Amino acid sequence: MIDGIETPTWDANSLPADDNVNPYAFSIALAGEWFVSKGAMIAYYGNVEFAGVSQYASRASWVAARFSSPLYASEWVVAAGQGKVIVADRGYDVNSYDLDEGNLTIKQTNLLGFQTSLELKQSIVPGFVTLIGTGTFLASSNGPVIFVEPPFRADPDALLGWADCPSPSQHYDHHWMAQSFMAGIQGMFGRESGEERQYDFTGAGTILMQSSEQLRVDGALLKLVESQTNLLDAQSAGALGQRLVQRSQQQ
Amino acid sequence: MTYEVVNSKVVRVQVSQANPVLARRGAMLGYSGQVAFRPVSGAAQGVGGMVGTMLAGESNKMMVAEGQGSVLYGFRGLYVTVIDLTGDSLVVEADRLLAHDAHLQTGVEMVGQGGVRSAVRGAMTGQGLFTTRVSGNGTVSVLSHGGTFPIQLNGETVGVDPQAYVAHTGALQVDLKASVGMRDLIGRGSGEAFQLHVSGHGTVYVQASEEKF
Repeated sequence: MIDGIETPTWDANSLPADDNVNPYAFSIALAGEWFVSKGAMIAYYGNVEFAGVSQYASRASWVAARFSSPLYASEWVVAAGQGKVIVADRGYDVNSYDLDEGNLTIKQTNLLGFQTSLELKQSIVPGFVTLIGTGTFLASSNGPVIFVEPPFRADPDALLGWADCPSPSQHYDHHWMAQSFMAGIQGMFGRESGEERQYDFTGAGTILMQSSEQLRVDGALLKLVESQTNLLDAQSAGALGQRLVQRSQQQ
Repeated sequence: MTYEVVNSKVVRVQVSQANPVLARRGAMLGYSGQVAFRPVSGAAQGVGGMVGTMLAGESNKMMVAEGQGSVLYGFRGLYVTVIDLTGDSLVVEADRLLAHDAHLQTGVEMVGQGGVRSAVRGAMTGQGLFTTRVSGNGTVSVLSHGGTFPIQLNGETVGVDPQAYVAHTGALQVDLKASVGMRDLIGRGSGEAFQLHVSGHGTVYVQASEEKF
């Protein structure tokens, strides 16, 4: 029993098809292919093959067109075949969402799987990916998802995603900034990101929030940040390296 | 109602000019409206004197939300319990405080009496023997692992695992007892045979988990 939820004993036939098994697990009725986040699969029935996205792309050329994010290619697998695949994430709530000729941007570490009819692209906002088209995707959240409408400002870490509205801009709370100015700014580096940094949403659309700022390590984020240091000249890159070494020694 | 429970882990608080809200720093998930956040640290800075001796000696960093709007608060996926105070006071460990009305008075006090003080240190908080007393008329939201349930006391005594104890309201006496005979049965997981004996008239909030906070 989980929190008083009925947990009958399932078999291959009685498992839900394309529905939640309980709030924390979802059963995909697989007939063909799905993109699944590496590590999200907890169990499966049937004749299912899991292959890395890059590995699968060498066989099926359409994969490259659907999965346009080399950065995350190593974090995803293609589940192909017939059967049921159960996905879950750290006991977080798992929900399925349907996109209809729409687009939705979501935190990469919370996206668990999506139908191959959807296209995945990397968002300009680091750590986020955008799904475009028509189809179903699965996402996890710490606690149930909270939907809010702009104007709204979100803690970047608690932000799950957004749909049908413009990309957020950065907002720095002026009170907090004033306090920082008075205290003397030691540079943005080394200052723990507190509540002073927020994502500012404007326009029409929906913002998805989760209930905590607890983050999962996003391996791809490191690569992304690293690739962006190409913008720096050699001297700045050296200075950045020194600061990073300093910071890692402090922790 | 200025505190709306959005789900088990999130609370939405209405902030107004007349009612600024103090919250744990880092617990703001998002907000709408004209709300400004300002860090509040210890007794040095106050919200117009309202904070006063707020959390003196405790390491918890707080912030105040001022202005007009609604703010979502949640912290690390912990469960949220909303408790209304009508003139009485709530005793809670500071790091369990998620958010509360800024006009509530807060003070730091010690738990345990005399000889048990040294025993309370560590067993109770893992870090010290101070707890925070929040009093006045207003609302407090506290954090827990797995949610809390209230135990109503009318003169009886109830034993609570120190790790499951969250907070209490009312005229309650909390004593730490070491039950030697049951050393292996009580305080599972900690290896310690301590129990909190709570007696008097009031409500104890117990979390549905023995995970240390």
